[in-house]
Amino acid sequence: MKTNNDIKLGVSLYSYQDNYYFHRLDVEGCIAAAAGAGAEGIEIFSDTMIPEWPYVSDAWIDKWNAWMERYAVNPVCLDHFSDRAMWHDKQLSDEQMFERGVMYIKLAARMGCKAIRVLHEEHIGAKSFSGYKLTDYDTIARLLPIAAEYDVMLALEVHTRDGVGAPYQQKYIELAEKTGIPYVGLQQDFSTFSYCISTADIKGAVYEGANEDLLMFIREKQREAYFAGEEFDYEEIREKVEAMKPNEHDQQLLRFVVGGHGPRVPFKQLYKDLADNAAKLVYCHGKFYDIDENGQVDDMDYPKIFQILKDNGYKGYISSEFEGNRRMNQIGWCDEVEYVRKHQALMRSLLNY
Amino acid sequence: MYNKQILSENNARSVWAHGEKYGYQFQVTINYYRGLPLCCVDQITMVIDGEQVPYDEMYIQHRGREYHYPDILKDDFPTDFYWLFGEPLTVVVKNGKGIEQGIHHCKLTLGTRRSYTPTMVSVCEKDLTFA
Repeated sequence: MKTNNDIKLGVSLYSYQDNYYFHRLDVEGCIAAAAGAGAEGIEIFSDTMIPEWPYVSDAWIDKWNAWMERYAVNPVCLDHFSDRAMWHDKQLSDEQMFERGVMYIKLAARMGCKAIRVLHEEHIGAKSFSGYKLTDYDTIARLLPIAAEYDVMLALEVHTRDGVGAPYQQKYIELAEKTGIPYVGLQQDFSTFSYCISTADIKGAVYEGANEDLLMFIREKQREAYFAGEEFDYEEIREKVEAMKPNEHDQQLLRFVVGGHGPRVPFKQLYKDLADNAAKLVYCHGKFYDIDENGQVDDMDYPKIFQILKDNGYKGYISSEFEGNRRMNQIGWCDEVEYVRKHQALMRSLLNY
Repeated sequence: MYNKQILSENNARSVWAHGEKYGYQFQVTINYYRGLPLCCVDQITMVIDGEQVPYDEMYIQHRGREYHYPDILKDDFPTDFYWLFGEPLTVVVKNGKGIEQGIHHCKLTLGTRRSYTPTMVSVCEKDLTFA
């Protein structure tokens, strides 16, 4: 359903990955599910759901356009990936990474997508942890005029625990300002604002053999701290946790609680950075892993995030990006269609739509 | 990811020519949340009833084309043959004699290289009925 709202809602079809993997829904089925949940925008991964990728025919583009028309939705974003480590003992050069970037921009333009989500070097933190160099600043600077030529925004997705205010993200906003080419910007993924272990992670870990009491204890302490307006300090509960003798499965989640990917910036600062950057953001991923019995995302403060975006002039799409499926699907079928439906309803209520 | 599912229960059977078995096949799906080019496959290792299938006998069939398994591991293999998410990849083992019809215990190890997470190695062990 198309609207004139400043903040529009979309769905990344990635949210339906198990339905697609197990052939319950095809691409059109996923688009129908998103439209049925009330979304007006569609995000798609080329290497997941475009069978002809990387050489996509006009006939497929026609089919895509017909789906956009049939389901009254807009193409929003095509996801770019930085597959540099193509071979065991050889990697793509910077020049080849640039060429692949151009390939994504051109396909996005043909599909009517006004943005590509770029997997940039600082996607997860100041340094990628795969050991592979992703698409870096210099390559993005080279892609910028091409993006302008094709009218496609380079949306750099920020998944990090120090958010969009980090200087190593801000340098890209400065790049757009410095060159006068406003075709690169930051995309906020809401996982930055996760304040406790998600129940999706706990359910998955418990299935593998983790101790539910122990993980729920940590989660409750994290929630207590967050809602008291304090920063969670693991050191305060370390002794109690160690007395509960965490096993290897508990340890796996604990490592993330304690260290995660890089330093955690205090929530007060994260929210301030979100407010300061809201009007400049080019896209948002409404990341979620689980939804609680009250219809709320179980580990992020959606009411607060939405209030900040509204009050500070964010204009653009927020797309549901469900990622609880891969945490919970070993337990049994994870009903992604139902999760996305609830998530869209939550977002509409927070926007008073 | 999908560790229990990467070894498909579909289309496991002997392959025949002129009334004679010359090999057998099984199907594999990807251990990731998206597709990857075939050149990003790091390893497909299959052990059937305790014996490893020789790499040299393995051929990969994908969208009407067939590649000798050792070739897809080479550093000049094309980057544009995409093994899409959820798409079955057929592995044909040309051992000259097929496989005895019935249940066999299989252990598949699949390694794939990805952009921003380390190479993931998934192991799937199950009984498969070969037709």
